[in-house]
Amino acid sequence: MSTKILYNLESLYEEIDIFEHKNISFHHHLRNGDFVLNMVLKKYLEMDVKELNLFPSSIFPTYTTILDLIKNDQINNITTNYLNGPVAEYISKNGLIGKLKMQTHGGRARSIIEGNNNIDIAYIAAPYVDKLGNAVGYKGKNACGSLGYAIADSKYAKIKILITDTLVEEVDNPEIDGANIDYIIVVDSIGDSNGIVSGTTQVTKNPVGVKIARYTSELINELGYIKNGFSFQSGAGGVSLKATEYIGEIMRKNNVIASFFSGGITKYHVDMLEEGLVEKLYDVQCFDLDAVRSISKNKNHIPISASIYANPNDEKMVIKDLDCVILGAAEIDYDFNVNVTSSSHQMLMGGSGGHSDTATEAKLTIIVSPLIKARIPVIKDRVMTITTLGKNVDCLVTERGIAINENRKDLIEKLKNSKLKIYTIKELANIAHNYTGIPKQLKKESKIIGMVEDRTYDIIDYIYKA
Amino acid sequence: MSRSYLFIPGNNPNMLQNLDVFNADAVIIDFEDSVISYDKDCARDLVENFLKKYNFENLEIYIRINDFESNDFLKDVQSTLDLNINGYVLPKAMPESIDDLNKLIGTKGKTIIPIIESPLALLFVREIASKDNLHGILLGAEDFTKELNVPRTLEASEIFYARSIISIACNAFNIDSIDTPFTNTDDISNLRVDSLKAKQLGFTSKSSIHPNHVETINQVFAPSKSEIENALRIVTKAKTELKGAFSLDGKMVDLPIIKKAEKTIETAKKYNLL
Repeated sequence: MSTKILYNLESLYEEIDIFEHKNISFHHHLRNGDFVLNMVLKKYLEMDVKELNLFPSSIFPTYTTILDLIKNDQINNITTNYLNGPVAEYISKNGLIGKLKMQTHGGRARSIIEGNNNIDIAYIAAPYVDKLGNAVGYKGKNACGSLGYAIADSKYAKIKILITDTLVEEVDNPEIDGANIDYIIVVDSIGDSNGIVSGTTQVTKNPVGVKIARYTSELINELGYIKNGFSFQSGAGGVSLKATEYIGEIMRKNNVIASFFSGGITKYHVDMLEEGLVEKLYDVQCFDLDAVRSISKNKNHIPISASIYANPNDEKMVIKDLDCVILGAAEIDYDFNVNVTSSSHQMLMGGSGGHSDTATEAKLTIIVSPLIKARIPVIKDRVMTITTLGKNVDCLVTERGIAINENRKDLIEKLKNSKLKIYTIKELANIAHNYTGIPKQLKKESKIIGMVEDRTYDIIDYIYKA
Repeated sequence: MSRSYLFIPGNNPNMLQNLDVFNADAVIIDFEDSVISYDKDCARDLVENFLKKYNFENLEIYIRINDFESNDFLKDVQSTLDLNINGYVLPKAMPESIDDLNKLIGTKGKTIIPIIESPLALLFVREIASKDNLHGILLGAEDFTKELNVPRTLEASEIFYARSIISIACNAFNIDSIDTPFTNTDDISNLRVDSLKAKQLGFTSKSSIHPNHVETINQVFAPSKSEIENALRIVTKAKTELKGAFSLDGKMVDLPIIKKAEKTIETAKKYNLL
């Protein structure tokens, strides 16, 4: 079937039966600036389509039509990688008719490719599209950068639909192959560029964060990872970016050039690419406009799909070669299990994204966090929700010292003469308790509202009603 | 001798809790300018309870009390006299206010760091430096230049004389000379330049109003690698020389230079640089 161009959603539903295809997916590259998800789901709301199963790669606070559909009992199940805002809050308190399944970025791509996430219609916001259905995300008036999370959907959904506000004659080097696309819908606007860029991609100036970043860079350096050809992922957290800045200083001083940085890409990574400190950026998600601009002009800034990024069954998987990753934590426990899915009050406020993927694959996985957050110690007996298994986590770096997972005896041996403040995780917890006392662990509600599925398909934890 | 003195607001529990995190050699818990008037009681209660519960080894702790003429001066001193602190930082200091504070301290074993923050006080700096029980003198350049009615500049020529005379007075009486804080919290590069200027004039240390400044200040006011190496060579050669003065690398080395080298080694050891 050739790609058909339509100019509104109504025309689409004259072509396909909206009541027949209940498993629908979206990507989140337009983040809080996305108009497409609400635009499409309003049709489902108006037409009272029931028993929907949603597969958005993430859910942001502006995706409020999901909330309307849930309240109207139109959604059975949601499978996603990350959620925060009103939808997260409502699901935490009320659950769904069915269940919430939290996957990883690599796990989602794998599930779609292997048919576990059986998607009927993929609605793909596409910033720059040609008449054959070829598309890139890094051009157009609402450019968002890489379309990495939408690639599996664009190949494996039963019906693939691009929604765009920029239709052109030809797209070079498309991320999305027009041969797979069934429909293009041209609309006035797919998003608000102000909301597309995350507001969180700033190097931290918070003194505690700066201290953690300094310790982190010193730790990575002492362990010998900062050498020619090393690979690294930091994400877009302020502390991780500050650590990246410090790592850059060490690289300059020792004339080190990294082979690649991967994952979500920011201005800071782009600057290091342009300075020649790193050879390639493998970008599954642009976090700011500098990254968007760079990906459109620098051949060494390479958009990749979520599958190539982190699908364990993809032989091209980038992160299998990852030396070091820095990740955050809402909570971590004595077994180094990490929670970035829910708060300690069981409210959903995030999700794995690539957390578990990269922790599993990287040779060195470092969690960075203040030891005490808003008077609550970050270290628990047991985290409220396991997002990433402790066996895949190597170090915790806080402002008061560093804990190494006892399973990593090689790291402990390397650091035995270090001037860094190395503790066991229980010793670090005791330092925190000295200030906070030992907080009572919240008793979980008995009702399970969802589960955390690792990229292996194992269910590694359940999510309870708040 | 400390390299860095970090100001921490006395009414901020989060900052107090982390006062030993930022690697400052000394912290100055502030009851004065960073605490608004209606929060002064709260700061006193908070700091009293905090310091009664927690001990901080290897960290000097001072409290900047309110100035002698304020209603809070007496309350600040009385509520903290029995706490485990090293002493007081005294704003708007003059010779008489130091005497009065010393009387209140009595035998409690606390020292004083007066802040020179007016042209008049600067004229008394020699007398101030000679007072009993002083740990050092701190230059408060913001108020000082305000009274002089001149703007602060990056070049800092407006405080060149004040820095020079304070440094000389402190050196003469063997007490710490503590430079004024660098007020641009994000400009670490110029913080380094400013710190080096103070060090070149003889300052032993610098105060800071932001924890992110401490690392740079510690680096600048610690002996450099080459200074340490040179000091070690001087002290080593001095042990084998029978004469009071000798030549090293074509330069004359005598007793004051040997003493200075010994002090450098002592400081390097204190900060784990050896």
